[in-house]
Amino acid sequence: MYKYSEKDKSIIESRTKQFKNQVQRRLNGQLSEEEFKPLRLMNGLYLQLHAYMLRVAIPYGELSSSQLRKLAFIAEKFDRGYGHFTTRQNIQFNWPKLPDVPDILHELSKVEMHAIQTSGNCIRNISSDHLAGITIDEIEDPRPWCEIIRQWSTFHPEFSFLPRKFKIAVIGSKKDRAAMLVHDIGLRLIKKDKEIGFEVFVGGGQGRTPIIAKKIKNFLQKKDLLNYLEAILNTYNQEGRRDNIYKARIKILVKELGIEKFKLLVDENFKKLSDKNLEIDKVSIDKIFSFFTLPELKPNSHKVQIHKNKEYNEWVTQNTLSHKVSGYSIVHISLKSANHPPGDISSQQMMALSKISEDFSFSEIRVTHEQNLILPHVENKNIYKLWIELKKLSLATPNIGLISDTICCPGMDYCALATARSIPISQKISNHFKSFSDQKILGDLKIKISGCINACGHHHVGNIGILGLDRNGQEFYQITLGGSAKEDASIGEIVGPSFPESKLIDAINTILNTYKKNKKKKTEDFLSVFRRVGIKEFKKDLYDNT
Amino acid sequence: MAKKLRGEFFILSANDLRTGEVVFLTEKGWSVNSSEATIIKIDQVDKFQAISDRDEKKCIIVSSKFVELDENRKIKSLRDKIRNSGLTFKI
Ligand code: SF4
Repeated sequence: MYKYSEKDKSIIESRTKQFKNQVQRRLNGQLSEEEFKPLRLMNGLYLQLHAYMLRVAIPYGELSSSQLRKLAFIAEKFDRGYGHFTTRQNIQFNWPKLPDVPDILHELSKVEMHAIQTSGNCIRNISSDHLAGITIDEIEDPRPWCEIIRQWSTFHPEFSFLPRKFKIAVIGSKKDRAAMLVHDIGLRLIKKDKEIGFEVFVGGGQGRTPIIAKKIKNFLQKKDLLNYLEAILNTYNQEGRRDNIYKARIKILVKELGIEKFKLLVDENFKKLSDKNLEIDKVSIDKIFSFFTLPELKPNSHKVQIHKNKEYNEWVTQNTLSHKVSGYSIVHISLKSANHPPGDISSQQMMALSKISEDFSFSEIRVTHEQNLILPHVENKNIYKLWIELKKLSLATPNIGLISDTICCPGMDYCALATARSIPISQKISNHFKSFSDQKILGDLKIKISGCINACGHHHVGNIGILGLDRNGQEFYQITLGGSAKEDASIGEIVGPSFPESKLIDAINTILNTYKKNKKKKTEDFLSVFRRVGIKEFKKDLYDNT
Repeated sequence: MAKKLRGEFFILSANDLRTGEVVFLTEKGWSVNSSEATIIKIDQVDKFQAISDRDEKKCIIVSSKFVELDENRKIKSLRDKIRNSGLTFKI
C-alpha cells in the first residue's frame, strides 16, 4: 500500500490548517457562504438536504486496518455512528457539524487520508479494479498507475478548474470490474509484443447523456502516460464548454467533435506540449510499484473448507473467489443485507472489521465500486472461522452479484438534487428477493438505482436500471433494461412509461418472468437473454394487458 | 426569490450554519420544530426574506428557502417533507 512521502504529509497538513482557518472565518462572518462554498467543496464538504456531508477519498478503494479504524472513530465521535461507501470507492459521512470538520480532517491526516478533490470540477479519486494485484487474469497491477496519476493530478494547477468534474479509471485485466468504459478517461493495461502499455478510452460517462467511452489510442507506452493524459486534459480545457453545465463534460465534446477529430487535437497537443519532465522512467515506476507488493503469502494446498452448514456453504459459493496465490481466497463482504441501505456500515462494524482484517487479511481492506468491501488475502484454512466472525457482525450476506446486491445512490433521503428516493426502493428489492435459492435461479443480475438523472447509482449500466422521477410531486420510477458496466458495456434502454413505487416490485417480477421464460439454458444470464430477445418481449409482458 | 414562488402560504426554512440541522423560522427565532414555524403569506415574503438575509449575515443560518404549504397548511412537496421529518427508513 502506498505510504505518504514527507511532501505528501506536509501538503495534507497545510491544507488541513488552511481549511481550519477558512471555517473559522466562515463561522465568525468574515467569509460569506458564496465565498466559502467553493472552499468547502474543495475539501469534500457539501451541504445536503438535512446536514453537511463530508466525502473522504479512498484512493482506488484501498484501506488499511488503521484507516478503517480511524473512519470508525470519526463516525462515532463526529457523526451518527455510520458511514456510506460510494460508487467511487469513497466514504461519506452524512451528519458532520461545520466546526468539527477541521478536526475530522486532522484525524484523517494522521492515517494519510483526506477529502481533497472529492468534489468540484477537478480530477476526482482515481478508481480501479477491486481485485487489482490479486487476480490471476491480470496483465499488470493497475494500482501503481492509479497512484502515479493521483500524484500528478493532485493540486494540478491547470486542472483545478476544469469545465466539469473529471473521472479516471485504470484496470489491468480484460475483465472490467471498475466500470472503466463509463469514465471520462478509461485506461486498460494491455500487452503488445511483450511490452505492457495502455489502451486508452475517452468520453464515457453517465448522467443526463450516458455514453460508452471510445477508444482513442490502441497502445500507449508507459513512459508517455502523463503527457498523453495532459494532452487530453488540455484539449478538454481548451475546447470544452463552460457555458452550459449539461454540455460541459468531455463526453459531449468528444461526441460533438467526433472521436477522430478529438484524437487529432489530442495528438497535436501531445506533440506540442509534451514535457520531458513528465516522462516516467523505470526507476520512478519501480519505486511506486514497490509500495504495492503482496504481503508475505505462503502458497499452500489448503482448499476452502466444506462444512455441513448450508448458510456457510452458500456464502462461500457466492462471496469468495480464488486468490492468485494458491491456498488463499478473496472474500467479499456484502453491505447489502435485507432492508439495509446499500453501502452503509456502522462504526462498530468498521471497528470490528478493522481487527478482522488484521487477524485474517494482512490488515488490508478494499472498497468496491459496487459498494461492498473485500478482504483481499484470506488463508483458505481460516475461511470458516472468518465467516463466523462476519456473521456475528451481520456482514455475511451471501449475495455478491445477485439481485439483492443493488447499487444505490443516497437519493432524496439525503441528496439535495434528488427527484425521488432510492434507498427505500433498494430495501424493498433486497427484502423481496432475500431467499438465496430464488436469487441463484435468477443468476448474475445487477440492479442499479439512482434518485435523479445524475446517475450516481449507475442506473444506465444496470442490467435493470431504476431512475427515480418526480411526476407532479409523486415519485415514479423509470426502468431501463440491458445496461452493463463490464467489458461489454452498454447503456440500458428505457422499457416504457414509468411506475409508481407501489407497482415497481410487480414490474420487476414481470421482467424477471419474461427473462425466465426466454432462458434457453440454466446458465444463460439476464443480460444474455435480453440481448438475444430484445426489449420488445419485455415491453409486451409489462405493458400489454394494462 | 419571491418572484419564483408559487403557492399562497409558506414557512421559512434554512440550515443551521454550525450544525447543518434543518431549522424553521418561528416567532421566537429559528427552531428545529416546524410545527412552531410562522406561516407566511405570499405577500409577506419580501419581509421574511429580509429576516433571512439578516440572519445569514449574522452567521446563524445558511441556505434559506420558503417551503410551500398545501391547503391544509401542511408541507407540500415530498422533498420538504423529508427535510422536515428526516430519513424515511431506519438506519
Ligand atoms: S443520482 Fe441524483 S439523487 Fe442520487 S446521489 Fe446523485 S445527485 Fe443525488
